[in-house]
Amino acid sequence: MSQFLNAAFWTFVGIEAGIYTIFALGLQIQFGVTGLLNFGHAAFMAIAAYTMAILVVKVEMPLWQASLLAIGAAMLFGLLIGLPTLRLRADYLAITTIAFAEIVRYIALNESALTGGPQGTIALAGGNQIAFYNSSWQSFQGAIQDPVARLFPGELGHDPNFTMLLIIWAVALVLLAVAHHAVRSPWGRVLRSIREDEDAAAALGKNAFSYKLQALVVGAGLGAIAGLFYAFQFSFFSPPDFAPLTTFFAFVIVIIGGVGRIWAVPIGSVIFGIIFAGTRFFTFPPFSWLASADRAYVRLIVIGLILIGLMAFRPQGLLGKKEELTI
Amino acid sequence: MSDVAPILAVEDVRKRFGGLVAVNGATFNVAPGSITALIGPNGAGKTTLFNNVSGFYRADSGRITFLGHRIDGSTPHRIAQRGLVRTFQLTKALTHMSVLDNVMLAGPDQPGEHLWRVYVQPRGVRRREHELRTIAMELLRFVKLDGHAEAYAGSLSGGQRKLLEFARALMSSPEMVMLDEPTAGVNPTLAAQLLDYVLELRRDTGMTFLLIEHDMEIVMSVSDRVVVMSEGRVIAEGTPDVVRRDPKVVDAYLGTHADTSAEEGGDVPE
Repeated sequence: MSQFLNAAFWTFVGIEAGIYTIFALGLQIQFGVTGLLNFGHAAFMAIAAYTMAILVVKVEMPLWQASLLAIGAAMLFGLLIGLPTLRLRADYLAITTIAFAEIVRYIALNESALTGGPQGTIALAGGNQIAFYNSSWQSFQGAIQDPVARLFPGELGHDPNFTMLLIIWAVALVLLAVAHHAVRSPWGRVLRSIREDEDAAAALGKNAFSYKLQALVVGAGLGAIAGLFYAFQFSFFSPPDFAPLTTFFAFVIVIIGGVGRIWAVPIGSVIFGIIFAGTRFFTFPPFSWLASADRAYVRLIVIGLILIGLMAFRPQGLLGKKEELTI
Repeated sequence: MSDVAPILAVEDVRKRFGGLVAVNGATFNVAPGSITALIGPNGAGKTTLFNNVSGFYRADSGRITFLGHRIDGSTPHRIAQRGLVRTFQLTKALTHMSVLDNVMLAGPDQPGEHLWRVYVQPRGVRRREHELRTIAMELLRFVKLDGHAEAYAGSLSGGQRKLLEFARALMSSPEMVMLDEPTAGVNPTLAAQLLDYVLELRRDTGMTFLLIEHDMEIVMSVSDRVVVMSEGRVIAEGTPDVVRRDPKVVDAYLGTHADTSAEEGGDVPE
Protein backbone atom coordinates (compact mmCIF):
# COMPACT_ATOMS: atom_id res chain seq x y z
CA MET A 1 0.00 0.00 0.00
CA SER A 2 2.95 2.32 0.60
CA GLN A 3 3.39 2.53 -3.17
CA PHE A 4 0.01 4.16 -3.40
CA LEU A 5 1.41 7.42 -2.05
CA ASN A 6 4.72 7.08 -3.79
CA ALA A 7 5.39 9.99 -6.18
CA ALA A 8 8.00 8.04 -8.14
CA PHE A 9 5.49 5.32 -8.87
CA TRP A 10 2.87 7.74 -10.18
CA THR A 11 5.53 9.54 -12.18
CA PHE A 12 6.15 6.28 -13.92
CA VAL A 13 2.41 5.82 -14.54
CA GLY A 14 2.34 9.35 -15.99
CA ILE A 15 5.17 8.55 -18.39
CA GLU A 16 3.35 5.49 -19.66
CA ALA A 17 0.13 7.48 -20.04
CA GLY A 18 2.05 10.12 -22.00
CA ILE A 19 3.56 7.58 -24.37
CA TYR A 20 0.15 5.99 -24.83
CA THR A 21 -1.37 9.41 -25.49
CA ILE A 22 0.93 9.99 -28.46
CA PHE A 23 0.47 6.41 -29.63
CA ALA A 24 -3.33 6.46 -29.39
CA LEU A 25 -3.49 9.93 -30.95
CA GLY A 26 -2.27 8.34 -34.18
CA LEU A 27 -5.03 5.74 -33.94
CA GLN A 28 -7.60 8.43 -33.14
CA ILE A 29 -6.82 10.19 -36.43
CA GLN A 30 -6.86 6.93 -38.40
CA PHE A 31 -9.75 5.15 -36.73
CA GLY A 32 -11.65 7.80 -34.78
CA VAL A 33 -11.66 10.55 -37.38
CA THR A 34 -11.23 8.76 -40.70
CA GLY A 35 -12.74 5.37 -39.86
CA LEU A 36 -9.71 3.29 -40.84
CA LEU A 37 -9.58 -0.03 -39.01
CA ASN A 38 -5.88 -0.17 -38.25
CA PHE A 39 -5.36 -3.25 -36.11
CA GLY A 40 -1.58 -3.15 -36.47
CA HIS A 41 -0.73 0.21 -34.97
CA ALA A 42 1.97 -1.31 -32.74
CA ALA A 43 3.97 -2.08 -35.89
CA PHE A 44 4.64 1.63 -36.48
CA MET A 45 5.91 1.91 -32.92
CA ALA A 46 8.13 -1.15 -33.45
CA ILE A 47 9.52 0.02 -36.78
CA ALA A 48 10.50 3.40 -35.39
CA ALA A 49 12.04 2.05 -32.16
CA TYR A 50 14.01 -0.65 -33.95
CA THR A 51 15.13 1.61 -36.81
CA MET A 52 16.43 4.17 -34.34
CA ALA A 53 18.22 1.59 -32.16
CA ILE A 54 19.77 -0.21 -35.12
CA LEU A 55 21.00 3.01 -36.73
CA VAL A 56 22.54 4.22 -33.49
CA VAL A 57 24.16 0.94 -32.48
CA LYS A 58 25.17 -0.54 -35.84
CA VAL A 59 25.66 2.54 -38.02
CA GLU A 60 26.73 4.79 -35.12
CA MET A 61 24.44 7.49 -36.38
CA PRO A 62 23.67 10.43 -34.07
CA LEU A 63 20.48 9.85 -32.10
CA TRP A 64 18.52 12.81 -33.53
CA GLN A 65 19.26 11.88 -37.09
CA ALA A 66 18.42 8.23 -36.43
CA SER A 67 15.16 9.29 -34.78
CA LEU A 68 14.07 11.38 -37.75
CA LEU A 69 14.89 8.53 -40.12
CA ALA A 70 12.98 6.17 -37.84
CA ILE A 71 9.84 8.33 -38.04
CA GLY A 72 10.30 8.49 -41.81
CA ALA A 73 10.62 4.71 -42.00
CA ALA A 74 7.38 4.16 -40.08
CA MET A 75 5.54 6.64 -42.30
CA LEU A 76 6.94 4.96 -45.39
CA PHE A 77 5.60 1.63 -44.17
CA GLY A 78 2.26 3.30 -43.56
CA LEU A 79 2.29 4.40 -47.19
CA LEU A 80 3.30 0.95 -48.43
CA ILE A 81 0.59 -0.81 -46.46
CA GLY A 82 -2.03 1.76 -47.47
CA LEU A 83 -1.36 1.80 -51.21
CA PRO A 84 -2.69 -1.69 -51.97
CA THR A 85 -5.36 -1.89 -49.26
CA LEU A 86 -7.07 1.50 -49.00
CA ARG A 87 -8.84 1.07 -52.31
CA LEU A 88 -10.48 -2.04 -50.93
CA ARG A 89 -13.30 -2.33 -48.43
CA ALA A 90 -12.53 -1.30 -44.84
CA ASP A 91 -12.27 -4.85 -43.51
CA TYR A 92 -9.37 -5.67 -45.82
CA LEU A 93 -7.30 -2.94 -44.22
CA ALA A 94 -8.06 -4.49 -40.82
CA ILE A 95 -6.86 -7.92 -41.94
CA THR A 96 -3.78 -6.57 -43.67
CA THR A 97 -2.70 -4.41 -40.76
CA ILE A 98 -2.97 -7.31 -38.29
CA ALA A 99 -0.85 -9.44 -40.60
CA PHE A 100 1.61 -6.61 -41.19
CA ALA A 101 2.13 -5.98 -37.48
CA GLU A 102 2.67 -9.67 -36.82
CA ILE A 103 5.16 -9.90 -39.68
CA VAL A 104 7.09 -6.97 -38.22
CA ARG A 105 7.10 -8.59 -34.78
CA TYR A 106 8.19 -11.98 -36.11
CA ILE A 107 11.01 -10.42 -38.11
CA ALA A 108 12.15 -8.65 -34.94
CA LEU A 109 11.96 -11.96 -33.11
CA ASN A 110 13.80 -14.08 -35.66
CA GLU A 111 16.27 -11.85 -37.48
CA SER A 112 18.58 -11.84 -34.48
CA ALA A 113 21.53 -10.47 -36.43
CA LEU A 114 19.53 -7.38 -37.31
CA THR A 115 17.34 -6.85 -34.26
CA GLY A 116 18.83 -8.75 -31.36
CA GLY A 117 16.06 -11.35 -31.61
CA PRO A 118 14.11 -12.49 -28.55
CA GLN A 119 16.64 -10.95 -26.19
CA GLY A 120 15.78 -7.55 -27.55
CA THR A 121 17.97 -4.59 -28.38
CA ILE A 122 20.38 -5.41 -25.57
CA ALA A 123 21.81 -8.04 -27.94
CA LEU A 124 21.98 -5.67 -30.91
CA ALA A 125 25.76 -5.53 -30.95
CA GLY A 126 26.07 -9.32 -31.23
CA GLY A 127 28.36 -11.60 -29.23
CA ASN A 128 28.23 -11.04 -25.49
CA GLN A 129 28.40 -7.29 -25.78
CA ILE A 130 25.64 -5.26 -24.26
CA ALA A 131 24.28 -2.76 -26.77
CA PHE A 132 23.17 0.65 -25.63
CA TYR A 133 21.53 3.20 -27.93
CA ASN A 134 20.45 5.64 -25.29
CA SER A 135 23.51 7.61 -24.20
CA SER A 136 22.71 10.73 -26.26
CA TRP A 137 19.20 10.81 -24.88
CA GLN A 138 20.42 10.45 -21.34
CA SER A 139 22.94 13.24 -21.70
CA PHE A 140 20.19 15.43 -23.21
CA GLN A 141 17.99 14.62 -20.25
CA GLY A 142 20.90 15.28 -17.92
CA ALA A 143 21.37 18.70 -19.47
CA ILE A 144 17.85 19.80 -18.65
CA GLN A 145 17.86 18.11 -15.25
CA ASP A 146 19.30 21.20 -13.54
CA PRO A 147 16.65 23.68 -14.67
CA VAL A 148 13.97 21.14 -13.77
CA ALA A 149 15.49 20.70 -10.31
CA ARG A 150 15.43 24.47 -9.85
CA LEU A 151 11.79 24.68 -10.89
CA PHE A 152 10.73 21.73 -8.76
CA PRO A 153 12.77 21.75 -5.58
CA GLY A 154 12.80 18.59 -3.53
CA GLU A 155 13.08 14.96 -4.36
CA LEU A 156 10.80 15.11 -7.42
CA GLY A 157 12.94 17.61 -9.31
CA HIS A 158 15.96 15.33 -9.04
CA ASP A 159 14.16 12.26 -10.32
CA PRO A 160 15.15 11.70 -13.98
CA ASN A 161 11.78 10.04 -14.52
CA PHE A 162 10.08 13.28 -13.56
CA THR A 163 12.09 15.10 -16.24
CA MET A 164 11.03 12.44 -18.72
CA LEU A 165 7.43 12.95 -17.63
CA LEU A 166 7.69 16.67 -18.38
CA ILE A 167 9.32 16.11 -21.78
CA ILE A 168 6.80 13.51 -22.89
CA TRP A 169 3.77 15.53 -21.83
CA ALA A 170 5.18 18.71 -23.37
CA VAL A 171 5.56 16.87 -26.68
CA ALA A 172 2.17 15.19 -26.26
CA LEU A 173 0.40 18.49 -25.62
CA VAL A 174 2.00 20.12 -28.66
CA LEU A 175 1.00 17.16 -30.83
CA LEU A 176 -2.51 17.18 -29.41
CA ALA A 177 -2.89 20.89 -30.17
CA VAL A 178 -1.59 20.44 -33.71
CA ALA A 179 -3.86 17.43 -34.28
CA HIS A 180 -6.85 19.26 -32.83
CA HIS A 181 -6.29 22.10 -35.27
CA ALA A 182 -5.90 19.68 -38.20
CA VAL A 183 -9.07 17.76 -37.38
CA ARG A 184 -11.12 20.94 -37.09
CA SER A 185 -9.75 22.28 -40.38
CA PRO A 186 -11.30 21.68 -43.81
CA TRP A 187 -8.84 18.78 -44.12
CA GLY A 188 -10.36 17.16 -41.05
CA ARG A 189 -13.83 17.78 -42.42
CA VAL A 190 -12.96 15.73 -45.49
CA LEU A 191 -11.59 12.94 -43.27
CA ARG A 192 -14.84 12.85 -41.29
CA SER A 193 -16.91 12.79 -44.45
CA ILE A 194 -14.94 9.75 -45.58
CA ARG A 195 -15.61 8.02 -42.26
CA GLU A 196 -19.31 8.69 -42.83
CA ASP A 197 -19.67 7.78 -46.48
CA GLU A 198 -16.82 7.50 -48.91
CA ASP A 199 -19.13 7.60 -51.93
CA ALA A 200 -20.72 10.86 -50.82
CA ALA A 201 -17.25 12.38 -50.41
CA ALA A 202 -16.20 11.14 -53.85
CA ALA A 203 -19.40 12.48 -55.41
CA LEU A 204 -18.36 15.90 -54.13
CA GLY A 205 -14.93 15.67 -55.72
CA LYS A 206 -12.91 14.45 -52.74
CA ASN A 207 -10.20 11.91 -53.51
CA ALA A 208 -11.04 9.53 -50.68
CA PHE A 209 -8.09 7.25 -51.36
CA SER A 210 -5.58 10.07 -51.07
CA TYR A 211 -7.10 11.33 -47.83
CA LYS A 212 -7.18 7.87 -46.28
CA LEU A 213 -3.54 7.45 -47.20
CA GLN A 214 -2.69 10.77 -45.57
CA ALA A 215 -4.51 9.81 -42.38
CA LEU A 216 -2.76 6.45 -42.26
CA VAL A 217 0.68 8.00 -42.78
CA VAL A 218 0.14 10.81 -40.26
CA GLY A 219 -1.08 8.26 -37.72
CA ALA A 220 1.95 6.09 -38.45
CA GLY A 221 4.20 9.07 -37.75
CA LEU A 222 2.54 9.60 -34.36
CA GLY A 223 2.88 5.90 -33.57
CA ALA A 224 6.55 6.25 -34.45
CA ILE A 225 7.10 9.18 -32.08
CA ALA A 226 5.51 7.12 -29.31
CA GLY A 227 7.84 4.24 -30.21
CA LEU A 228 10.88 6.49 -29.88
CA PHE A 229 9.84 7.71 -26.44
CA TYR A 230 9.16 4.15 -25.43
CA ALA A 231 12.72 3.27 -26.45
CA PHE A 232 14.23 6.33 -24.73
CA GLN A 233 12.42 5.58 -21.51
CA PHE A 234 13.24 1.91 -21.21
CA SER A 235 16.83 1.79 -22.54
CA PHE A 236 16.12 -1.55 -24.11
CA PHE A 237 13.10 -3.30 -25.60
CA SER A 238 12.16 -6.58 -27.22
CA PRO A 239 9.54 -7.91 -29.66
CA PRO A 240 6.77 -8.78 -27.14
CA ASP A 241 6.50 -5.05 -26.35
CA PHE A 242 4.82 -4.66 -29.75
CA ALA A 243 2.37 -7.55 -29.51
CA PRO A 244 -1.23 -7.07 -30.75
CA LEU A 245 -2.23 -6.29 -27.14
CA THR A 246 -0.40 -2.96 -27.46
CA THR A 247 -2.61 -1.98 -30.39
CA PHE A 248 -5.63 -3.21 -28.46
CA PHE A 249 -4.73 -0.89 -25.56
CA ALA A 250 -4.73 2.07 -27.95
CA PHE A 251 -8.24 1.09 -29.07
CA VAL A 252 -9.31 0.85 -25.42
CA ILE A 253 -7.96 4.37 -24.80
CA VAL A 254 -9.73 5.80 -27.84
CA ILE A 255 -13.01 4.12 -26.90
CA ILE A 256 -12.85 5.10 -23.21
CA GLY A 257 -12.10 8.71 -24.09
CA GLY A 258 -14.44 9.06 -27.04
CA VAL A 259 -14.07 8.09 -30.69
CA GLY A 260 -13.16 10.99 -32.97
CA ARG A 261 -12.31 13.47 -30.20
CA ILE A 262 -8.70 14.57 -29.96
CA TRP A 263 -8.75 15.68 -26.31
CA ALA A 264 -10.38 12.39 -25.37
CA VAL A 265 -7.05 10.69 -26.01
CA PRO A 266 -5.06 12.05 -23.02
CA ILE A 267 -8.07 11.50 -20.76
CA GLY A 268 -8.46 7.93 -21.96
CA SER A 269 -4.72 7.36 -21.56
CA VAL A 270 -4.59 8.63 -17.99
CA ILE A 271 -7.62 6.56 -16.98
CA PHE A 272 -6.16 3.54 -18.69
CA GLY A 273 -2.80 4.12 -17.01
CA ILE A 274 -4.41 4.39 -13.58
CA ILE A 275 -6.47 1.23 -14.04
CA PHE A 276 -3.47 -0.61 -15.35
CA ALA A 277 -1.22 0.41 -12.49
CA GLY A 278 -4.03 0.51 -9.96
CA THR A 279 -4.73 -3.21 -9.96
CA ARG A 280 -1.36 -3.49 -8.23
CA PHE A 281 -3.09 -2.27 -5.10
CA PHE A 282 -5.70 -5.00 -5.15
CA THR A 283 -4.10 -6.67 -2.17
CA PHE A 284 -7.39 -7.34 -0.39
CA PRO A 285 -9.68 -10.37 -0.74
CA PRO A 286 -10.69 -11.86 -3.07
CA PHE A 287 -7.65 -10.70 -5.04
CA SER A 288 -5.23 -11.55 -2.24
CA TRP A 289 -6.18 -15.19 -2.67
CA LEU A 290 -4.40 -15.13 -6.00
CA ALA A 291 -0.66 -15.46 -6.37
CA SER A 292 0.87 -12.05 -7.11
CA ALA A 293 1.87 -13.10 -10.62
CA ASP A 294 -1.73 -14.07 -11.37
CA ARG A 295 -3.00 -10.85 -9.85
CA ALA A 296 -1.31 -8.92 -12.65
CA TYR A 297 -3.85 -10.38 -15.02
CA VAL A 298 -6.74 -9.03 -12.99
CA ARG A 299 -6.15 -5.67 -14.66
CA LEU A 300 -7.05 -7.15 -18.03
CA ILE A 301 -10.29 -8.41 -16.53
CA VAL A 302 -10.96 -5.00 -15.02
CA ILE A 303 -10.31 -3.28 -18.35
CA GLY A 304 -12.59 -5.77 -20.06
CA LEU A 305 -15.35 -5.11 -17.53
CA ILE A 306 -14.97 -1.36 -17.91
CA LEU A 307 -15.22 -1.68 -21.67
CA ILE A 308 -18.38 -3.77 -21.35
CA GLY A 309 -19.86 -1.27 -18.91
CA LEU A 310 -18.96 1.64 -21.16
CA MET A 311 -20.50 0.00 -24.21
CA ALA A 312 -23.69 -0.61 -22.24
CA PHE A 313 -24.06 2.78 -20.56
CA ARG A 314 -21.91 5.29 -22.41
CA PRO A 315 -20.95 3.86 -25.79
CA GLN A 316 -19.71 7.24 -27.03
CA GLY A 317 -16.94 7.29 -24.41
CA LEU A 318 -16.38 9.99 -21.83
CA LEU A 319 -16.00 12.95 -24.20
CA GLY A 320 -17.78 11.60 -27.25
CA LYS A 321 -21.16 12.74 -28.50
CA LYS A 322 -23.83 10.12 -28.87
CA GLU A 323 -24.98 11.67 -32.15
CA GLU A 324 -21.55 11.13 -33.66
CA LEU A 325 -21.32 7.49 -32.73
CA THR A 326 -20.46 5.55 -35.85
CA ILE A 327 -19.38 2.17 -34.58
CA MET B 1 -30.73 21.72 -80.51
CA SER B 2 -28.41 19.45 -82.43
CA ASP B 3 -26.19 22.22 -83.78
CA VAL B 4 -24.91 23.02 -80.26
CA ALA B 5 -22.15 20.72 -78.98
CA PRO B 6 -23.67 18.62 -76.16
CA ILE B 7 -22.34 19.13 -72.65
CA LEU B 8 -22.83 15.43 -71.99
CA ALA B 9 -22.81 12.73 -74.66
CA VAL B 10 -23.67 9.13 -73.83
CA GLU B 11 -22.91 6.77 -76.69
CA ASP B 12 -23.86 3.12 -76.80
CA VAL B 13 -23.18 2.51 -73.11
CA ARG B 14 -23.62 -1.05 -71.87
CA LYS B 15 -23.50 -2.37 -68.33
CA ARG B 16 -24.26 -5.90 -67.32
CA PHE B 17 -24.39 -7.52 -63.88
CA GLY B 18 -23.86 -11.23 -64.42
CA GLY B 19 -26.85 -12.32 -66.50
CA LEU B 20 -28.74 -9.05 -66.14
CA VAL B 21 -28.16 -6.43 -68.79
CA ALA B 22 -29.03 -3.24 -66.93
CA VAL B 23 -28.00 -0.76 -69.60
CA ASN B 24 -28.03 -2.11 -73.13
CA GLY B 25 -26.57 0.39 -75.54
CA ALA B 26 -27.99 3.66 -74.27
CA THR B 27 -27.31 6.72 -76.42
CA PHE B 28 -28.41 10.32 -75.83
CA ASN B 29 -27.10 13.86 -75.58
CA VAL B 30 -27.68 16.59 -73.05
CA ALA B 31 -27.55 20.14 -74.42
CA PRO B 32 -25.77 22.78 -72.34
CA GLY B 33 -28.15 24.91 -70.31
CA SER B 34 -31.00 22.44 -70.73
CA ILE B 35 -33.16 20.66 -68.21
CA THR B 36 -33.38 17.10 -69.39
CA ALA B 37 -35.57 14.51 -67.73
CA LEU B 38 -34.63 10.84 -67.80
CA ILE B 39 -37.76 8.77 -67.39
CA GLY B 40 -38.77 5.15 -67.76
CA PRO B 41 -40.46 2.37 -65.84
CA ASN B 42 -38.80 0.86 -62.77
CA GLY B 43 -35.85 -1.30 -63.78
CA ALA B 44 -35.32 0.57 -67.04
CA GLY B 45 -31.69 1.25 -66.11
CA LYS B 46 -31.89 4.95 -65.27
CA THR B 47 -30.00 4.82 -61.98
CA THR B 48 -27.45 2.37 -63.39
CA LEU B 49 -26.83 4.83 -66.18
CA PHE B 50 -26.41 7.62 -63.61
CA ASN B 51 -23.86 5.50 -61.81
CA ASN B 52 -21.98 4.93 -65.05
CA VAL B 53 -21.94 8.60 -65.97
CA SER B 54 -20.82 9.68 -62.49
CA GLY B 55 -18.04 7.08 -62.41
CA PHE B 56 -19.42 4.85 -59.65
CA TYR B 57 -19.79 2.01 -62.16
CA ARG B 58 -17.47 1.36 -65.04
CA ALA B 59 -19.36 0.79 -68.30
CA ASP B 60 -18.61 -2.48 -70.10
CA SER B 61 -18.51 -0.59 -73.38
CA GLY B 62 -19.47 2.71 -74.92
CA ARG B 63 -18.29 6.29 -74.60
CA ILE B 64 -19.29 9.02 -72.18
CA THR B 65 -18.08 12.54 -72.93
CA PHE B 66 -18.48 15.55 -70.66
CA LEU B 67 -17.43 19.01 -71.88
CA GLY B 68 -15.36 17.36 -74.58
CA HIS B 69 -13.49 15.02 -72.22
CA ARG B 70 -13.95 11.25 -72.11
CA ILE B 71 -15.11 10.45 -68.60
CA ASP B 72 -15.93 6.77 -68.97
CA GLY B 73 -13.25 4.98 -66.95
CA SER B 74 -12.66 8.07 -64.83
CA THR B 75 -13.22 8.09 -61.07
CA PRO B 76 -16.16 9.74 -59.27
CA HIS B 77 -14.06 12.45 -57.64
CA ARG B 78 -12.41 13.45 -60.92
CA ILE B 79 -15.76 13.63 -62.68
CA ALA B 80 -17.12 15.77 -59.84
CA GLN B 81 -14.05 18.00 -60.05
CA ARG B 82 -14.76 18.51 -63.75
CA GLY B 83 -18.08 20.02 -62.75
CA LEU B 84 -20.51 17.12 -63.10
CA VAL B 85 -22.07 16.37 -59.72
CA ARG B 86 -24.89 14.08 -58.76
CA THR B 87 -27.28 13.37 -55.95
CA PHE B 88 -28.39 9.94 -54.86
CA GLN B 89 -31.78 8.29 -54.97
CA LEU B 90 -31.18 6.94 -51.47
CA THR B 91 -29.73 10.05 -49.91
CA LYS B 92 -26.19 10.06 -48.67
CA ALA B 93 -26.41 12.70 -46.00
CA LEU B 94 -23.35 12.60 -43.75
CA THR B 95 -25.55 11.93 -40.75
CA HIS B 96 -22.98 12.41 -37.98
CA MET B 97 -21.89 15.79 -39.28
CA SER B 98 -23.77 19.05 -38.95
CA VAL B 99 -26.04 20.20 -41.78
CA LEU B 100 -23.76 23.19 -42.34
CA ASP B 101 -20.65 20.99 -42.46
CA ASN B 102 -22.39 18.78 -45.02
CA VAL B 103 -22.83 21.74 -47.34
CA MET B 104 -19.48 23.40 -46.63
CA LEU B 105 -17.70 20.15 -47.41
CA ALA B 106 -18.70 20.62 -51.04
CA GLY B 107 -17.30 24.15 -51.24
CA PRO B 108 -14.70 24.50 -53.98
CA ASP B 109 -11.20 25.98 -53.79
CA GLN B 110 -10.69 25.60 -50.06
CA PRO B 111 -6.89 25.55 -49.65
CA GLY B 112 -7.37 24.09 -46.17
CA GLU B 113 -8.25 20.74 -47.67
CA HIS B 114 -4.49 20.30 -48.01
CA LEU B 115 -3.02 19.51 -44.60
CA TRP B 116 0.16 21.54 -45.05
CA ARG B 117 -1.75 24.63 -46.12
CA VAL B 118 -3.77 24.48 -42.90
CA TYR B 119 -0.54 25.48 -41.16
CA VAL B 120 1.23 27.44 -43.91
CA GLN B 121 -1.57 29.80 -44.92
CA PRO B 122 -4.00 29.81 -42.02
CA ARG B 123 -5.41 33.21 -42.94
CA GLY B 124 -6.26 32.17 -46.47
CA VAL B 125 -7.97 29.06 -45.11
CA ARG B 126 -9.97 31.10 -42.62
CA ARG B 127 -10.98 33.67 -45.20
CA ARG B 128 -12.18 31.01 -47.63
CA GLU B 129 -13.98 29.23 -44.80
CA HIS B 130 -15.80 32.45 -44.03
CA GLU B 131 -16.85 32.89 -47.67
CA LEU B 132 -17.99 29.29 -47.91
CA ARG B 133 -20.03 29.61 -44.74
CA THR B 134 -21.86 32.60 -46.22
CA ILE B 135 -22.65 30.75 -49.46
CA ALA B 136 -23.65 27.61 -47.57
CA MET B 137 -26.02 29.53 -45.31
CA GLU B 138 -27.59 31.15 -48.34
CA LEU B 139 -28.21 27.77 -49.93
CA LEU B 140 -29.57 26.40 -46.67
CA ARG B 141 -31.89 29.36 -46.37
CA PHE B 142 -33.17 28.59 -49.83
CA VAL B 143 -33.99 24.96 -49.00
CA LYS B 144 -35.44 26.10 -45.66
CA LEU B 145 -32.82 24.24 -43.65
CA ASP B 146 -31.02 27.29 -42.24
CA GLY B 147 -32.75 26.73 -38.91
CA HIS B 148 -31.14 23.30 -38.78
CA ALA B 149 -27.63 24.43 -39.77
CA GLU B 150 -26.02 23.31 -36.53
CA ALA B 151 -28.12 20.14 -36.17
CA TYR B 152 -26.78 16.76 -37.15
CA ALA B 153 -27.83 15.80 -40.65
CA GLY B 154 -29.05 12.52 -39.17
CA SER B 155 -31.84 14.39 -37.42
CA LEU B 156 -33.37 15.49 -40.74
CA SER B 157 -36.35 13.78 -42.35
CA GLY B 158 -36.05 11.92 -45.64
CA GLY B 159 -37.39 14.85 -47.63
CA GLN B 160 -35.09 17.30 -45.86
CA ARG B 161 -32.14 15.07 -46.67
CA LYS B 162 -33.07 15.28 -50.36
CA LEU B 163 -33.00 19.06 -50.06
CA LEU B 164 -29.70 18.95 -48.21
CA GLU B 165 -28.17 16.88 -51.00
CA PHE B 166 -29.49 19.33 -53.54
CA ALA B 167 -27.94 22.25 -51.67
CA ARG B 168 -24.70 20.33 -51.28
CA ALA B 169 -24.52 19.58 -55.01
CA LEU B 170 -25.04 23.26 -55.83
CA MET B 171 -22.41 24.26 -53.27
CA SER B 172 -19.73 22.71 -55.46
CA SER B 173 -20.66 25.27 -58.18
CA PRO B 174 -21.01 22.63 -60.87
CA GLU B 175 -21.47 22.96 -64.63
CA MET B 176 -24.09 20.23 -64.60
CA VAL B 177 -26.12 18.53 -61.90
CA MET B 178 -27.63 15.07 -62.11
CA LEU B 179 -30.56 14.70 -59.72
CA ASP B 180 -31.82 11.21 -58.94
CA GLU B 181 -35.48 11.64 -57.97
CA PRO B 182 -34.98 15.04 -56.32
CA THR B 183 -38.59 15.49 -55.24
CA ALA B 184 -39.35 12.00 -53.92
CA GLY B 185 -40.49 12.40 -50.32
CA VAL B 186 -40.28 16.18 -50.39
CA ASN B 187 -43.49 18.00 -49.53
CA PRO B 188 -45.22 19.42 -52.64
CA THR B 189 -44.73 23.09 -51.75
CA LEU B 190 -41.01 22.67 -51.19
CA ALA B 191 -40.71 20.43 -54.25
CA ALA B 192 -42.27 23.17 -56.36
CA GLN B 193 -39.81 25.68 -54.90
CA LEU B 194 -36.91 23.38 -55.61
CA LEU B 195 -37.97 23.11 -59.23
CA ASP B 196 -38.44 26.88 -59.46
CA TYR B 197 -34.89 27.21 -58.24
CA VAL B 198 -33.69 24.76 -60.88
CA LEU B 199 -35.39 26.88 -63.54
CA GLU B 200 -33.95 30.06 -62.05
CA LEU B 201 -30.42 28.66 -61.95
CA ARG B 202 -30.67 27.49 -65.51
CA ARG B 203 -31.89 30.93 -66.58
CA ASP B 204 -29.35 32.97 -64.59
CA THR B 205 -26.22 30.83 -64.72
CA GLY B 206 -26.84 28.49 -67.63
CA MET B 207 -26.44 25.48 -65.37
CA THR B 208 -27.43 22.17 -66.95
CA PHE B 209 -29.68 19.64 -65.21
CA LEU B 210 -30.36 15.99 -65.87
CA LEU B 211 -32.98 14.52 -63.60
CA ILE B 212 -34.56 11.18 -63.02
CA GLU B 213 -38.17 11.84 -62.14
CA HIS B 214 -41.30 9.73 -61.82
CA ASP B 215 -43.81 12.52 -61.41
CA MET B 216 -45.01 13.19 -64.96
CA GLU B 217 -46.51 16.53 -64.07
CA ILE B 218 -43.07 17.73 -63.01
CA VAL B 219 -41.39 16.19 -66.03
CA MET B 220 -43.78 17.85 -68.44
CA SER B 221 -43.69 21.27 -66.79
CA VAL B 222 -39.99 21.63 -66.02
CA SER B 223 -37.98 19.82 -68.63
CA ASP B 224 -37.30 21.01 -72.13
CA ARG B 225 -36.21 17.58 -73.23
CA VAL B 226 -37.20 14.10 -72.19
CA VAL B 227 -35.21 10.91 -72.64
CA VAL B 228 -37.20 7.72 -72.19
CA MET B 229 -35.48 4.48 -71.23
CA SER B 230 -36.89 0.99 -71.23
CA GLU B 231 -35.06 -2.28 -70.70
CA GLY B 232 -31.67 -0.57 -70.78
CA ARG B 233 -32.25 1.30 -74.04
CA VAL B 234 -33.27 4.79 -74.97
CA ILE B 235 -36.56 4.27 -76.78
CA ALA B 236 -37.61 7.86 -77.31
CA GLU B 237 -36.16 11.32 -77.03
CA GLY B 238 -37.58 14.78 -77.65
CA THR B 239 -39.64 17.58 -76.23
CA PRO B 240 -42.18 16.61 -73.57
CA ASP B 241 -45.03 17.07 -76.04
CA VAL B 242 -43.52 14.79 -78.65
CA VAL B 243 -42.57 12.12 -76.14
CA ARG B 244 -45.95 11.89 -74.45
CA ARG B 245 -47.59 11.10 -77.77
CA ASP B 246 -45.01 8.49 -78.76
CA PRO B 247 -46.73 5.07 -78.89
CA LYS B 248 -43.46 3.35 -77.90
CA VAL B 249 -43.47 5.29 -74.65
CA VAL B 250 -47.04 4.34 -73.88
CA ASP B 251 -46.15 0.72 -74.60
CA ALA B 252 -43.11 0.82 -72.33
CA TYR B 253 -45.17 2.06 -69.42
CA LEU B 254 -48.25 -0.06 -69.97
CA GLY B 255 -46.91 -3.09 -71.74
CA THR B 256 -48.05 -3.86 -75.26
CA HIS B 257 -51.35 -5.13 -73.93
CA ALA B 258 -52.34 -2.13 -71.96
CA ASP B 259 -55.38 -3.78 -70.42
CA THR B 260 -53.49 -6.62 -68.72
CA SER B 261 -50.70 -4.82 -66.89
CA ALA B 262 -51.56 -1.36 -65.77
CA GLU B 263 -50.12 -1.46 -62.23
CA GLU B 264 -47.88 1.47 -62.99
CA GLY B 265 -50.90 3.61 -63.72
CA GLY B 266 -49.66 6.52 -61.65
CA ASP B 267 -46.62 6.97 -63.85
CA VAL B 268 -48.45 6.98 -67.19
CA PRO B 269 -47.95 10.08 -69.22
CA GLU B 270 -51.34 11.57 -69.84
